[in-house]
This record gives sequence, C-alpha cells and structure tokens, in this order.
Amino acid sequence: MTKVIRTENLTKVYNHTVVPVHALGGVDLEVEKGEFTAIIGPSGSGKTTLLNMIGGLDHPTSGRVFVGDTEMTALKESKLIDFRLRNIGFVFQSYNLIPVLTAKENISFIMLLQKRSKEEMEARAIQLLQEVGLTDKADVRPQKLSGGQQQRVAVARALASRPQFVLADEPTANLDTQSAFNLLDIMQKLNEEEHITLLFSTHDQRVIDRARRVIKLVDGKIASDERR
Amino acid sequence: MKMLMILAWRNLWRNKRRTIITVASVFFAVLLAICSESFQRGSYEMMIDNMVKYSTGYLKVQDVMYHDEPSIDNSLLYDDALQSALKPYAESIDYLVPRIQGFTLVANDETTRGALLIGMNPDSEVQFNDFRENIVAGDYLESGDQSVLISSGLARVLNAEVGDTLVFISQGFQGASAAGLFPVKGIVRIRVPEMDRATILMPLAAAQWFFQADERLTSLIVMPNNPADTERLANAMAKGLDAEWFRLLTWKELLADFLKLMAFDVAANKVFLYILYMIIAFGIYGTVLTMMVERTKELAMIISVGMKRSQLAVVCVIEMVLMTLLGVIAGALAAFPVVYYFHHNPIQLSGELANVMIDYGFEPVMPFSMSAINFLSQVYVVSVISLLVSIYPVYKVYSMKVVESSKL
Repeated sequence: MTKVIRTENLTKVYNHTVVPVHALGGVDLEVEKGEFTAIIGPSGSGKTTLLNMIGGLDHPTSGRVFVGDTEMTALKESKLIDFRLRNIGFVFQSYNLIPVLTAKENISFIMLLQKRSKEEMEARAIQLLQEVGLTDKADVRPQKLSGGQQQRVAVARALASRPQFVLADEPTANLDTQSAFNLLDIMQKLNEEEHITLLFSTHDQRVIDRARRVIKLVDGKIASDERR
Repeated sequence: MKMLMILAWRNLWRNKRRTIITVASVFFAVLLAICSESFQRGSYEMMIDNMVKYSTGYLKVQDVMYHDEPSIDNSLLYDDALQSALKPYAESIDYLVPRIQGFTLVANDETTRGALLIGMNPDSEVQFNDFRENIVAGDYLESGDQSVLISSGLARVLNAEVGDTLVFISQGFQGASAAGLFPVKGIVRIRVPEMDRATILMPLAAAQWFFQADERLTSLIVMPNNPADTERLANAMAKGLDAEWFRLLTWKELLADFLKLMAFDVAANKVFLYILYMIIAFGIYGTVLTMMVERTKELAMIISVGMKRSQLAVVCVIEMVLMTLLGVIAGALAAFPVVYYFHHNPIQLSGELANVMIDYGFEPVMPFSMSAINFLSQVYVVSVISLLVSIYPVYKVYSMKVVESSKL
C-alpha cells in the first residue's frame, strides 16, 4: 500500500510556561492511502498537536513529517502553504467557513486559490454539494446553515482540491447526534468509494466506531494502534 | 483578483453600521477639508486676481532701479530699441500695458488731497481691467484726451463732479516741476477699495507731458497669452533685455510680501486640516483594529486552508481602500455643489469683517475656488492615510501565528 503520511520521531515542546510542556514525545506514525483513522486520547494527550504537525500548521521541535515523498518539515513557509493547498484538506471543529461566501463559493474558494478553470470549479463544487447533500443550499451563506450543514460544506471544501488526505480535528464535537451521523455517513462513503484518506482526532465514540484504525495517544506518545 | 475584491467588498458590509460610521467620518472630514481649502484658496485667488489686474500684471518690465526706489526718475525709456527687444516674444504676448505713475496733489477750490496718478493707454487698459465698465458718471478716456478719470472715492472726498476742473501739482522727471489743470471726464469705481479712495487715470501722453517725461514709462506690463506660461516667458525675455537697464518682475515677485502672508495663513489652515486628517486616521484605525480582533481566528483558518499571506494582506488593503474611497468620493461629490454655488455666489461680508477687508484693500467678498487641486489634494491625502493605516492589518497577517490564532 502507498504511504500517504509518515512521521519520524516527532516531538513538540511548548516553552510558553515556566515548565516546558512536552506535547509530543517522539511519535512515529505511518498512514496508508485510503485509511480511515481516528486518533483518540484524553484532553492534552497531543491529538491536535499531532494533526497540526501533519498538516504543516505548526513546526515540530524535532523529527520529520513526510507526505508522500515530500519532507514537509523541510519546506519553507511559501512552499509549505502551496503544498498544503494542493495536498491536504482540513475540517475544523468549529467549521470555520468564510462567512461572507456562499456554500458553493466556500467550496470553490480552495480551487480558486489553485487557479483552476471556472468550468472545473463550477462542476466540482456542484458535484461535492451533491455528495454532501446540500445542492439546494449552494447559494446560502454559512450563518443561514445549521451546524451540521456547515460542517458538511467544510468537508466538501476540504475535498475540493482533491487532496492526498483530509485532517479533521474533532469534526463532530459541535454537532447533534443526527448531524454527526449524517456527516460520518458521508465521510465513510467518500472513504470507501473514493478511497480518500481520513485522519480524525476525536473523543466521539460514534467516530471511533466507524474508524478502521484507532490510534490512542497518551502524554504525547502512541499508547496503542489498533487496525480493525 | 476578482475573488479578492469580492471578499473585501463583502467583508466591508459584514458590520454595516461600523462601516457606515467609518465612511461617514471620512465623508464629513473630506467635505469639510475641501470646503475649507476651497474657501481659503478662493479668497486668495480673488485677491491675487484683483492685484494682478489692477496693479501688477503678470509680468512687468521696469527700470532696474524702480522696484527698490519707485520714482519718476527711475522710469524707463520706451523707445524703438526696447520695442525691438520685445518683438521676438510677440507670439507669447497677448498685449502690453504701458504706464507712467506717480503721486500728485490734486485740488479743487474746496480741498486738496494726495492721489496716485496713473498715465495709461485707454485702449490697452480696456483689455487689462474693467475701468471702462465701471464708469459711474461721465465717459471713459480716449488717447488724445487732456482730461482725467477720478475714482469714485476720491470724487466723494473732493466733492468733484464730471466737468469740474482739478489742479495737479507734483514733481516731474529729474526734478522738473509738474503742474496742470485737467477737467474731470468721468468718475470710475475701482473694485479695490484702497485704490478707489485715491486714484486718477490720465491718458499716457497727457501724463508724460505732465511729468515732463516724454516716451518714459514707470512700468510696461506684459500680459502673456497664457498666464500659466508667465515664468517661461519671463525667463526667455530676461535673456533679450539688458539687465543693466531693465528689470523683469513676475507677479510672484511683485506680490512677494502678500504671498508670504498668504503662505503663513495657509500654514495655519493646514494645522486645522491636519487635525481633521488625524480624526480620519484614528477613525479608520479604530475600525481596522476592531475588524482584525474580530477576525483573527477566521484569518488564521483562511491561511490554514491554503491562502497565501500576501493574498490575505491584499484583501485587507482593498477593504481599507474601498472604505476610504467610498468616504472620499461621497465627500467630494457632496462638496462639489457647495463649492460650485459659492464660487458663483461669493459670500458677501458685512460689518466689522467687511471693514477689515476694505481697509486691506480687498473687496469684501469670499468666493470659493473651483480648482481641481482642492479636490485632488484631499483624495491624495486621505488615500495616503488609508494606505498607512493598512500597514497594521498587513503586519498582523504576516506576523500571525496560525495555530495560536485559530485557538482564539
């Protein structure tokens, strides 16, 4: 199988306080294409920090992150942003859609940054809206969508650039049960049918139940790694 | 770029009330600044115009000594040689206004007064000023007349009427005594009140006879085809005139003292304008500050998903520029009819203020200037303010730590 993500001895130490906080303590991880992986663990175990490192949003204190054959930790800021744009999709806990853009524009926005053609953007945005069941909300701005709908738009946005993998940080944390199930159905379908690699950080048992691999972090280290 | 513009424009209207308040602050500041600048510039333009038309002209040829020591003795000889020297510039010259002037005592059987006697060519003066249009009694002069026009203020002082004969006594060229009797052909109202109180106009030949200064002039006013071309014409003419005998003065040199006074007043007005600009700057800055605090998390997320910081900075700058432009354009549009109205209907001063103006020799009116520079300078200054204020969001975008900011 193709390895999409690889980390080598990834550590992160925060020195904001008097006592240094070791958020990650030497994480070695490999994620293969098409995996549906949940990273679980108690608060402060380093889930979000690990996702930020893999997503190139934060720099490790030491260690390396590879996406495909590219060592992302060696990229400079401008190249890193471009790399992130083309290879990684993000879904955040609080949706984080651009409030002044409609659902369709939010999805197209990523493709626009990639300088895709207008026709391609239009077709892809409509396709993604169909996949997340929001065709009728294409021209609606985020504040007029429910939390579940916003998160589905966020998933569509994350997939718009056809990334190598999607990072989702507690994507169901703010959703009610029904919305969470709808979202998970969509993501599971995308994973199974389009082999999209998904990496979640979560506390949510509903997500854990769907995942085919569960990695447990404790105190910044992998305590268990279970494939189902 | 289109998407960046759309983002900026929509961001602007996320908080309509805040945007409207900021735009309104720019609007009122620009309106006030344009009106204030236009009012001040208009007043000075009128004063300069009056002085140039009634007194100095745009360019003046004089004897080299006359400017420092104005006396008939320092008059120039307007002979064939001087006329030939001016010929090469004829295409740039609209017309010439020859004058000889000096102080004289003028008397009738009731009273005696000192007055400025201007010997002039009635035909060229018609082009230069509006003496002929402002005849309030009698007739305008003709070249061969041996009579005078007296200003309406002087006529009141002397209690003189058309047809009266006045006695003139003065000192002529090189100490010759000058005396004569001249009948009043007409009474003229001169718009500059100070001049209106004590001016006598006499045909050039008669005045040269009176001062015993044949062919001599105290000044030869040169009116260029294009007043804006005055400096260039002066520089060209200076090369053709013998600097040992002649001096060329532009209106800026002739009105140097007044222009200094004006510059001082303009500087005072600038202080007022700077205060306005400060208000604008802090108004916009306050808005920017709030906008950035509100949107820190959102901006961090936008960077996370792949937007370059430079693109995001451009969006922030466009927002600033759009907000400022809205205020500036609205302010300029609102100012235009105000300025236009008061340009054509100057404010008439009355009471003490009017008396002060009259004492200084100016018409007691305050016209507004329609000069484009009044509008453009405000657009320029406020745009610069906007760009300066834009430094803050640009700095914030470039210095933003994405992970920390997205936790806010």
